[in-house]
Amino acid sequence: MEETPKVLRKIIHIDMDAFYASVEQRDNPDLRGKPIAVGGSPQGRGGVVATASYEARKFGVRSAMPSKRAIQLCPAIIFVKPRFEAYKEVSRQVRAIFERYTDIIEPLSLDEAYLDVTIDKQGIGSAIDIATAIKGAIRNELGLTASAGISINKFIAKIASDMHKPDGITFIGPSRIERFVSDLPVEKFHGVGKVTAEKMKNLGLHTGGDIKKLSEQELRKHFGKAGSFYYKIVRGIDNRPVEPEQETKSIGAEDTFPYDLTKLEEMELALEKITETVCRRLDKHNLKGKTITVKIKYSDFKIITRSKSFSDCLNDHNSILAAARELLEKTEPEGAKIRLLGITISNFPSLLSKGNGKCAPGQLNLF
Amino acid sequence: MKFIVSSSQLLKQLQHINGVINANTVLPILEDFLFEVDKNKLTVVATDLETVMRIQMDIEAKETGKVCIPARILMDSLKNIPDQPLTFNIDKNFSVEITSDNGKYKVMGENPDNFPKEPTADDTTSFTMTATALVTAINKTLFAVSNDDLRPAMTGVFFELNKDYLQCVATDAHRLVRYKRTDVSCPKADSFIVPRKPLNLLKSALPDNEDEITLSYNSNHLFVKHGTTQMSCRLIDARFPDYKVVIPSDNPYKMVVTKSDFQSALRRVSVFSNKSTNQVALNISGSELQLAAQDVDFSFEGNERMKCQYDGEDITIAFNARFLIEMLNAADSEEVRLELSTPTKAGIIKPTEMDDSEDVLMLVMPLMLNQ
Ligand SMILES: [Mg+2]
Repeated sequence: MEETPKVLRKIIHIDMDAFYASVEQRDNPDLRGKPIAVGGSPQGRGGVVATASYEARKFGVRSAMPSKRAIQLCPAIIFVKPRFEAYKEVSRQVRAIFERYTDIIEPLSLDEAYLDVTIDKQGIGSAIDIATAIKGAIRNELGLTASAGISINKFIAKIASDMHKPDGITFIGPSRIERFVSDLPVEKFHGVGKVTAEKMKNLGLHTGGDIKKLSEQELRKHFGKAGSFYYKIVRGIDNRPVEPEQETKSIGAEDTFPYDLTKLEEMELALEKITETVCRRLDKHNLKGKTITVKIKYSDFKIITRSKSFSDCLNDHNSILAAARELLEKTEPEGAKIRLLGITISNFPSLLSKGNGKCAPGQLNLF
Repeated sequence: MKFIVSSSQLLKQLQHINGVINANTVLPILEDFLFEVDKNKLTVVATDLETVMRIQMDIEAKETGKVCIPARILMDSLKNIPDQPLTFNIDKNFSVEITSDNGKYKVMGENPDNFPKEPTADDTTSFTMTATALVTAINKTLFAVSNDDLRPAMTGVFFELNKDYLQCVATDAHRLVRYKRTDVSCPKADSFIVPRKPLNLLKSALPDNEDEITLSYNSNHLFVKHGTTQMSCRLIDARFPDYKVVIPSDNPYKMVVTKSDFQSALRRVSVFSNKSTNQVALNISGSELQLAAQDVDFSFEGNERMKCQYDGEDITIAFNARFLIEMLNAADSEEVRLELSTPTKAGIIKPTEMDDSEDVLMLVMPLMLNQ
């Protein structure tokens, strides 16, 4: 559906509460209600806490803390060896729940993801209700809790999910964003590490409101490229899309030659062989792409790439070979010493846009 | 080869066919116009392999010959040249030199033998209609065509031919438009599906007047001829859905409203709708129509009420406002009639008045109401 770009998005950030520790407590009743830490035990050298249960957090135990320190703070703490396969499995189950509600999912780690629910797949009616439904399904089906943040962009949604942990749900609507960001301490800003936070405080910048007083130029002077990001973010602007991971981004093949190629005919023959391999791989994945990239490595190991994009897909051997030849010829290869040639096809029309006939939830069909 | 042509006339003609050409095509020659000169006549052809358009114009030429000229650079230069005769000189290597009062411009052409051949008009059946009738038929149906490549039959307009009428139908599975003209007579009952792109091109290339145009078709192609402008396109090879069975024979509840008032109200209220559905609920009771939209997350709400004539039981039914607004555009009368039955069955929109030779019927499926 063509939508005007001005449409407000609805983004949910979901963060599982004390994920590894909660899975362990769920699977082992003996650990429930007790302070536990998943991670390296204090006996081993350099053991570190990966996740602490909420019971352990009361004593000040935190992620990334040395296990020796954790045991000082909380002598009763129980150390549990991580079972990453189990967490991956739960993460897949959580993702399956997300997929009921949206097709646009960007996982950040095993226990965190952004969801774009602007298109309301089930016709639930509101993003708050969708987040509530997801939390309910995670609780009822997986026996775990998650916290959700809901807003119109990723930045605010992520901060919101952290506001009422555990088992929280926080909605920050467009009218509240500017004030919310103004009051926000700089260390809460996503991407602001300890060093940057320190630098900001030395400049007298303690909250989003302080940053807002500076011009974009001043921010760029102090923080480089990130300065522009801060400038926008304190005004509640974050246009980064929720990006579902693409399964295959490109398919290609390359060939290193036993001796350097100097004649155009040799190079073209090589391209023809590489094209065959590329076509076979494309067929296998049933993909067609709009962009071709030719890679050339010279005898001095210098590498160049040349790309061209087309409005339609390069869909057969001949069109790929013709485009590859054209790109090669533009580098004036005759006489150059070429060690390696490669061809890559990318820019596959996304599956999402293929389904653009799919309409809004609740829309009834004639056929 | 050498010929002389008026810069403004050439530009005007090329603008009719330039839309056929796609940028960055896999076959570079598809970014060219094919120029054919024969006895003071210039024919120019543009193609994307699916749709071919050609124009013909008078020029001054002593020789005959052909050349392919890159379209983009030629259009860009013509747009900036003041009206004057231009001299084109093409040498053996297909190098094109254009001479104007202002100076000389050079561009490398291509060998015309590599330009794709046009489909031949074999075994065709023909009929005629006025340019305005075809343009109107396109305008009233094209907006409802589907974008869903997974259902190719619905990505074009279905032409249904009959001895006493021509009927054009378009649908995206959520709504449907059927536009009928009884002032067109076709040699036999037949049907074909024309893709979106050639119809869009025809819409802008044809004048909205009484000029006669000829349509010819065979099992694969449609050929349209208007004076010296011609188009051919590949037809969509798929079966159009059996739309007749989804047209309700009798929707008992009938509402009549002023079209422009209804459309404006929909535009204002839908600003506040949930953007994933554009849902506007219509609540009709007595002689009042209420429109309501909301987005719960953002606490948006839009409500309006307006007068209508209504014959039926009280009903609340929701539609995608964009669908309604677009369909109302295709009704030319001052008032429109909305015929309903239940909140989950198709609604019918009709203009209250029509020319004798025309008929429009539009169907739209509702949205399931939230809460
Ligand atoms: Mg977490």
